[in-house]
Formats: sequence, structure tokens, C-alpha cells
Amino acid sequence: MPDSNSAGSPEVGRPYRARGLWVNLVRLGVIGGFFLLWEIASGRWIEPFLISSPSRVFTSLIDNIQSGTLMEHSWVTFKEIGIGFPLGALSGIATGYLFGRSRTLAEIFEPIIMAIYGIPRTALAPLFIVWLGIGIWSKVGVVFLLTFFLNFFNTYAGMKQMDQEYIDLARLMGASKWKLTFRVIFPAVSPYILLGVKTSIPFAVIGAIVGEFIAATEGIGFFIRLSAGVFKTADVFVGIIVLMFMVIVMNKIADLVERRVLQWQTQTEHVQIQG
Amino acid sequence: MKQPAPESGSEPIAAAAHRPATSRNNVVIEVERVSKTFETPRQGKVVALEDITIDVSYGEFVTVVGPSGCGKSTLLRMIAGLTPLSAGKILYQGEPVRGLNTKVGYVPQESKLFPWLTLEENVGFGLDPRRYSRKEREDRTHNFIKLAGLEGFEKHYPSQLSGGMAKRASIIRALVYEPAVILMDEPFGPLDAQTRMILQDELLKIWEQKRQTIVFVTHDLVEAVALADRVAIVTHRPGRIKDILKVPMDRPRNIFEIHRQKGFDEAYGRLWNIFRHELKIRLDQGQSLDSQTLSR
Ligand SMILES: Nc1ncnc2c1ncn2[C@@H]1O[C@H](COP(=O)(O)OP(=O)(O)OP(=O)(O)O)[C@@H](O)[C@H]1O
Ligand SMILES: [Mg+2]
Repeated sequence: MPDSNSAGSPEVGRPYRARGLWVNLVRLGVIGGFFLLWEIASGRWIEPFLISSPSRVFTSLIDNIQSGTLMEHSWVTFKEIGIGFPLGALSGIATGYLFGRSRTLAEIFEPIIMAIYGIPRTALAPLFIVWLGIGIWSKVGVVFLLTFFLNFFNTYAGMKQMDQEYIDLARLMGASKWKLTFRVIFPAVSPYILLGVKTSIPFAVIGAIVGEFIAATEGIGFFIRLSAGVFKTADVFVGIIVLMFMVIVMNKIADLVERRVLQWQTQTEHVQIQG
Repeated sequence: MKQPAPESGSEPIAAAAHRPATSRNNVVIEVERVSKTFETPRQGKVVALEDITIDVSYGEFVTVVGPSGCGKSTLLRMIAGLTPLSAGKILYQGEPVRGLNTKVGYVPQESKLFPWLTLEENVGFGLDPRRYSRKEREDRTHNFIKLAGLEGFEKHYPSQLSGGMAKRASIIRALVYEPAVILMDEPFGPLDAQTRMILQDELLKIWEQKRQTIVFVTHDLVEAVALADRVAIVTHRPGRIKDILKVPMDRPRNIFEIHRQKGFDEAYGRLWNIFRHELKIRLDQGQSLDSQTLSR
């Protein structure tokens, strides 16, 4: 097949930019096609109350924004994540750091933490409702729990992987404790810490929603469950859009932080493992 | 095994300033009958060093040569307090080394620049803000970067430097805060011949100005002779000090034409004789030879 050379691998000679454009176009086509199919299928092949339709979802999104309902519920969920996520991440990172620094601490508490980790953590959500009531604090608790472990494990893994020679060198050069911690150890572990933060973002949202599903009077999870209960499928999708939006925004912020903090890394050195 | 001070003329000022009144005979480091045995779970015990004794005087440039795996790095790490001893003792300024010896600077075998700091942040890392003002820190850092020919790369990260540049940076990182003693572990090991000579030359120039005490590990016999006041020869496993040779060559030395300098051939010849003897023993024992030992 002598002519298959020219037709077989068209990307090889193509400039990178043109290829990127091509990829984007195809992707847009796939997404557009999906929505189109959804719109056509709804009411013709599948009952609208099962899958709604893009146009219905859009209308109800506008309605819910105008009535202020969406804002109210989003704000509650945002508060739960906004409190639980940073607290969970920071305490997870701090615990991972302490375990990495103190062998004794790690020896005493590692089995305990592993045992707690073995419990499916969302199963603890009802318990949080019992302890902290049906307000936002029980959801903050669930978000905290889910975020804490992912951040803890990633940070601790980073501490264990860290090249001890950097610490030795810094100490030989007379680095103070503060300098050792913030100019050497945390930067060295930062790829792992950021990986933990990024993997925990969707779990923080899951935590809040699961809590709201179980018992709540407000929040996006509550809104979704309520809408599904009365077959307002379009509203369910509106809730899902809000959640997607939250995750995307948080990911974007994390990406910005990562790009700043890890600017010393070259592309190939990025940590590949998942926590 | 006490050796007289090197014939470097009058006592250098910088070195004299570091010397406490109580210290005897100019000696800054005393390694006395030190042994090191590594215990590994799989391979059992490895005797890395056995019965090592050597003194280093203030302002002296001592090189340590020996085949790969003979324990050179281990010796440096023990002087720095990074590795505990199995037997014997190491005194620094008359005091036993306990824990990390922060008085010494250490240039590890790999450059080990902090990858998350820029070149200038790396170089200035050891400058204590309690001792130097901000201005002083900046000036010093800048001067040494200039000295090492790294100008224009101040804001670069180590991943953006070549291996040789990183090496130079790791050397000036130890020089910049002027520790009384600097331990260097094959600092020019992986470099090409040209870069190597240039750096040897730079190092000697800096040292001639500051006269810090340097213990310099290498497996290159020419380098060992060219730089040193004294050369300590360590044998293959178990690592023992076979001999300590004085190198009575004038300073300043011209690294680029070191072969022509008076005294070089003689010193190199003596060193090679000892090495040849070692080599023969290892050949007779049927041990495998490191390629580097043969290529000399
Ligand atoms: N942490 C360790 N655990 C076990 N054995 C070790 C350890 N460090 C070094 N050794 C052993 O001690 C011996 C000496 O090692 P060392 O690194 O000091 O050699 P070296 O003379 O610096 O060699 P090279 O020239 O290749 O750098 C080697 O046999 C090595 O296997
Ligand atoms: Mg070594």
C-alpha cells in the first residue's frame, strides 16, 4: 500500500496549533451533537419527565435564578464547602506533615487512622446529622472528613518520599526551624500536597451533597432531592449544573495556585501518582 | 600521623580568625581510629571504613582519593555529622562531633540544589539573616554568582541549568557563607575535562583568597595532586588510609599547565606508585576492577 503513507498519518506533519484547533472542533461537535440528540429524543422517544431537555433545563435555570431560589441554595452549599474544605485540607496537610516529621507519632497513630480510613466515610454522614443537627454544621463535618483523609494521605506520602538529603543540607547550612519547614520541607512536598487538594475537591462537593440528601432544609442537594421527588427533572439538572460549576471553579483556582507554586517544576517532573 | 602545616607561607588571616585559642597545633578536624560498618538487612554487614586516622589543619587543602565504594563519601558524611560512627571519634576544634556539625559546609556528590528555589535563592540559602543584612546577603550572593560565571541565570531554577552550572552553583552555595571548613564530595566528578579544569582553577583562586579549610574527595589522581597540600589515599574495601602524601608544589598553581609545574611529576609518581601497588593486590586477589582505576 504505497499511497497509505500520505493518507495514513495526517497528524504527523501537521503543525501543533492546527491540530489543537482540529481537536477542539471535533470536541465541540461531539458535545453539540449530544445536546441536539437530547433535545430531539426528549418528548419523541423518551418521556420528558425522565430526561427533561436542554431547552427546558435552560428555561428553568433562568427561572430559578430570577426567583432567587437557586442563589439561596447555592449559598448554603457554598458555605458548607467553604468552611469544611479548607479546614479539612489544612488539618490533613498539617497531620501529614507531623506524621512525616515524627516517627513516634506516625507509629502510634498510623494504624488508628488506617482503621478509620477503612470505614466507607459517607456511611458516617447520618452520624454527623445525629451529632450536629440538620443545619450546615453536619455537612461541614462530612466535607471535612472526606477532605481530611485525601489531604492527609497525599501529604504523608510526600513526606515519606522526600529526599532526606535536602533536610540534612539545609540544617548543615544553619537553617532555622521556620526556614527548614517553609523553605525546604513544604516546597519539597508541595507537588503531593497540591495533588491531594485537587483530588479532594470533587469529594468535598460530594460530602456536602450527601449530607444534604440525608437531612436538610436547604442547599443544592436538598433542592435536587426535592425536585426529583416531584419529577421536576429540569430542576434536577439545574442543581447538577451548579455543582459542576462549583467543581470547575474550584479546580481552576487550584490550577492557578499550582502553576504559581510549582513553577519550578518542568513538565516531565510532575507527580503522576494518585492518592 | 600528625603532619606539619602546609608550606603556604604566612598564616592566612581568614583561617586564623576561625581558630579558637584552645586548639592545639592548628588542627581543626581530628579523625581518630574511626570505623564504619553498615548493617543491611539483606547483605549483612558491610565494613565501609576501618581504623581511619587523619588530622586536618586550618587553611589546609586535603584531597582524599580512592576507588569507587571505598568509603570516601561516608568519611565526609561522618565529619559533617550526617552519619554516625561505629567506632573511634571525630573532633572538631577539639570537641567531639555530636549531631550535625553546622560549622562545616558540605558539597554533596550530586549537586542537590533545592529545585524549588532560584539559583540566587539557592546560593544565598546559607546566609543567616541574623548575621548579614539584606544588602550584604544580596552583595555576597551576587559576587559569588559572578565568580562562578553564572551571571544572567540568577532567576533560573535548577531544572533550567546544565549539570555543570548546577555543580558550580552547589559549590558556591557552600563557599558563600564562609564556613571554616568545606567538605566537597567529588564536586567535579561528572564534568567534561575543560569545564573541570576551569572549575578547579576557580576553586583554587577562591581558596587562595579565603583560605578556608577544604577536604576534597575525588577519584582522579591528577586532580588530587593538582589541588592538594596533602593527599590521603584510601584503599578498597575495607577502606583504610594507606598513606598521606605531602604535595610540596608552589602556590598559586597553574591548573592548565599543572604537568609542567615543578614538583608535580614527583608527587604524582609517588601517588601512582602506591596506587599501582594497590592495583596489583586487587589483581592478584582476582577482584574486579573499577574502570576508573584502570583508566588512570
Ligand atoms: N546507607 C548505607 N547503607 C548501607 N551501606 C552503605 C550506605 N552508604 C554507603 N554504604 C556502603 O559503604 C561503602 C562506601 O560507600 P561510599 O558512598 O562512602 O563510597 P565512595 O568511596 O564515596 O564511592 P564513590 O566514589 O563511588 O562515590 C559502599 O560499599 C556502600 O555500599
Ligand atoms: Mg562517594
